[in-house]
Amino acid sequence: MLVSILISVGFLLACGLVLAGLLVLAEKKILNYGTCHVDVNAGRKVLDVEGGSSLLSSLAEQNIFIPSACGGRGSCAYCKLKVQEGGGMVGPVEEPYLSPEERQDHVRLACQVKVRRDLKIEIPDELFSVSRFRAKLLHKKPLTHDIVELRLQLLEPDSISFEAGQYVQLESAEYKGRESVMRGYSISSVPSDNQHLELIIRRVPDGICTTWVFDHLKEGAEVLFSGPYGFFHLSDTQAPIICIAGGSGMAPIWAIVRDMKEKGIARPTTYFFGALTQRDLFFLDEFRKLEQECPWFKFVPALSKEPADSGWTGERGLITDVVSRHFPDTSKHEAYLCGSPGMIDASVAVLTKNGMPEANVFYDKFA
Amino acid sequence: MKETPDDKALEDRLGASKFSGEGFLGTDHRPVDEIVAADLHELAQLGVAQETLLAALRDAFEKARAALGGEVEIRPGLKAVAHESMGRIPSPFRGDGVFEKGDVVLTAADGEQIVLTALGLAMIEKHSFFQGRGSRYRVEPARAARLLDLV
Repeated sequence: MLVSILISVGFLLACGLVLAGLLVLAEKKILNYGTCHVDVNAGRKVLDVEGGSSLLSSLAEQNIFIPSACGGRGSCAYCKLKVQEGGGMVGPVEEPYLSPEERQDHVRLACQVKVRRDLKIEIPDELFSVSRFRAKLLHKKPLTHDIVELRLQLLEPDSISFEAGQYVQLESAEYKGRESVMRGYSISSVPSDNQHLELIIRRVPDGICTTWVFDHLKEGAEVLFSGPYGFFHLSDTQAPIICIAGGSGMAPIWAIVRDMKEKGIARPTTYFFGALTQRDLFFLDEFRKLEQECPWFKFVPALSKEPADSGWTGERGLITDVVSRHFPDTSKHEAYLCGSPGMIDASVAVLTKNGMPEANVFYDKFA
Repeated sequence: MKETPDDKALEDRLGASKFSGEGFLGTDHRPVDEIVAADLHELAQLGVAQETLLAALRDAFEKARAALGGEVEIRPGLKAVAHESMGRIPSPFRGDGVFEKGDVVLTAADGEQIVLTALGLAMIEKHSFFQGRGSRYRVEPARAARLLDLV
């Protein structure tokens, strides 16, 4: 009885293996798409890629890194681009992530488009300058009870070109059975220090990447990331500036303000830093020093839950109320915001109520 | 009941993934439809409609979110605080889209807590899925109804 069961199981296994082998063979021989040409941005770059893989991985092999958080599983919808020709039908996996306008506009998920023939695609020009970097963690410095600063020395490539306000995608290593993931963090260092990169990261309870950063990543370790990404940067107008950001949202503002100082851009700038209590504040001395060095810059930390008897003499209240008190008329200003969707929505509401055109509000939502 | 390939695929997506380190099932080994049926049964026994509970949870979620990290009182003895987080998380239910990360922690006077997320509320609304036992984000229907003064 046992022998016949074993023979049956063995037979089924063998059949499965033969079928799998035939499928692999068929993929290679029958479904051999050969070399396909991918025309990127109307001839700016034409890539020769081996057909059969996803557009996302084919582009990555050619050093064009499209943002993706799920590793090509069609579940994060970060890897949107335009496929003008050769993309085939929109598949059932990507369909829910595309609005009717996007479908009309030939937007697709790069991970769900298979390269089977020549393609014409459009990507933001900024993505041409995205690279994958290997770096060494020089230091991991606690800034508050739940925020750290990472300083990285770039190894390969050994320098980076970016605009203050942009972000990178950090790749966590595997730990405790958790897969490697990619998460975006704003760069807090200045572009002139192009052989280093600094990030400000807040711990998220149970967060896969931040748990790795806080509990597993050691100084001296090698770190992988790609970037720079994003369109959040200083405009080239002369309008006075209001910045609003709390917690780790300070990162791009810290980079932008210091970059302004280095470049001699003296637009009147006020930075409102919202926090709950004094234990959530950081870089106070650094910002006070910047205030002394740059007469055009003003720093306003504000606490919403600081005990009344704590001796705190600075601003108190919700950051949006504090902004409104300082700027009852925002019609001539531009605003730069970074933080949670809730904070951004509330700030946009106050700024526009006080007269700022919505087109003058620039933000980096944590979403 | 025999598990279909779709059930299996859903249960895989509800497990630990690149997006949710712990997954949505916690330590619960029951099939998803059994979890859903048990929670709906519990609500029916309490005489609380799912829509009523969901509306109260959403109200608490939005009030906390508007307080930008500050503590708000939802009702006497129940406080809520929103915590921000970077990025978005896709629903494990295909086609439901992506949701803002970040959570809202409801804390009762005795320390009992419920953690709400935008995705968690959407899964309750569309699939009556309150998440598995042992998940940090499970909304135990009876406990939630009691904390929100619905029973």
